[in-house]
Amino acid sequence: MSALIRMRLAGFVRSGRALPPFIAVLVELGVIHGGGASPAGVAYGYSAAVLFPVLAWQTKLLLDTEPDVQRRLVRTAVGVRREAVAGVLAAAFLALLVCLLAMLTPWLLGAIDTTRSPLTGTVLGGLAHLLALLPALAVGALAGRAITRNIRNGVTVLVAAGVLVIVLGLRGSVAPWLVPPVMAMARALNDHAVPPAGTIGLLAAWTAAWCAAAFTGYARLRRERA
Amino acid sequence: MRFDQVWFRYGRRQQWTLRAVDATVEPGHTVVVLGRNGAGKSTLLQLAAGVLRPVRGAVHGRPAVVGWVPERFPADQPFTAEQYLRRMAEIRGLSDFAVVDRWIERLLLTEHAGTRLADLSKGTAQKVGLAQALLVPPGLLVLDEPWEGLDAVARTLIPQIVAEVTAAGGMVLVSDHRGEITGLPDAIHWTVAESAVDAAQAPPAHPADEVIVEVAVRRADADRAVAGLRAAGHRVLGVRATAGNTAASWPPATGYAEDGPR
Repeated sequence: MSALIRMRLAGFVRSGRALPPFIAVLVELGVIHGGGASPAGVAYGYSAAVLFPVLAWQTKLLLDTEPDVQRRLVRTAVGVRREAVAGVLAAAFLALLVCLLAMLTPWLLGAIDTTRSPLTGTVLGGLAHLLALLPALAVGALAGRAITRNIRNGVTVLVAAGVLVIVLGLRGSVAPWLVPPVMAMARALNDHAVPPAGTIGLLAAWTAAWCAAAFTGYARLRRERA
Repeated sequence: MRFDQVWFRYGRRQQWTLRAVDATVEPGHTVVVLGRNGAGKSTLLQLAAGVLRPVRGAVHGRPAVVGWVPERFPADQPFTAEQYLRRMAEIRGLSDFAVVDRWIERLLLTEHAGTRLADLSKGTAQKVGLAQALLVPPGLLVLDEPWEGLDAVARTLIPQIVAEVTAAGGMVLVSDHRGEITGLPDAIHWTVAESAVDAAQAPPAHPADEVIVEVAVRRADADRAVAGLRAAGHRVLGVRATAGNTAASWPPATGYAEDGPR
């Protein structure tokens, strides 16, 4: 499994496809953290919400780097399940690196207000990035060519998911449970008081349930679609 | 391995590519799949390899190790031929790359080992596709038009490799629409037509008065000699080195694995 993950990461980086999302990440982090210091929770809450569509895009690009026939060759070598899992794990590894960069950048730019204890905000910020990363992986995987078969369908899934996460995630949304709570998490961290543990637990459980449904659908579609 | 009432189509709104296919391949046997372009040969082979899933029915008894050589090797990958084969060997669970080096040598890929896949000629890329399928001795080898783009010497390697796999108890499925099957004289023939597979055809009989003539030629002249013999209507059974490696390892250094050139 690790050999396949390494091969896919190497292919993604060497093909140059890793560059556009990386540049997008740098621009987003520069814009968010370039305007001065703010409490850690607030800074990280925005960062996680803004990174969601980029992480989904990066996942789709990584999974689409390998030609379809090569994916089938790998299938004959390791089986359907391991081939699909290795793709998601390769994307998860890369997304974790991006989140690590997002956690370090505000410190490098002096964008964290250290007069208030930043520890709690940093921990909650790490959680916010994790709660954005997991659904972004699911959306990127579902937008991948192995599922959507062509670029138009893939981009439609990616854009629709990005827009719906914002629109249905707004305060007073009619169906907030349809999308992962990326916006709700950013709002919870934007309040200057530390959010109650119950709220954080609810958001984590909501994300876990949404991701479980999305990854179950992905696994089923991958099994059915050659 | 058995096709049990296998039905396949590429989409719900599309017509059936294959209907109610019942066929069996026994260990140690070679099957040549014949049919016109678009008849469903590649589909049948991909169902055998497990690349495609039957819409109805099932394929039973597929061996654990399957080697699949696609009709077109996916050369759009940022690796050299050697890097690619080493990574495929790792994916197959191999940590010793000696087998990669042996296949590179045997398939005459040595001078292209450091060339990027995208820069390889069609035939050379096809050899890389062949090598990746053979890194681990396959219980089932599926070759989709393996002769496409290969030069005359490389074409003679296909029957040798097929013979080695079947001699080791493996099964081989080969598709062909160019009449290269004379190199596989003992193969069973399946014909794909009208979404159905006629799997009841025994191998054609050889002329009873055939004899084997062994000829030595200079390595540089081998390609021309093989082409000349073929043009004269003779069956070329194999090309092998006259001396060298005798180690009992996979891949065998030269010639057939057990029964020797016939």
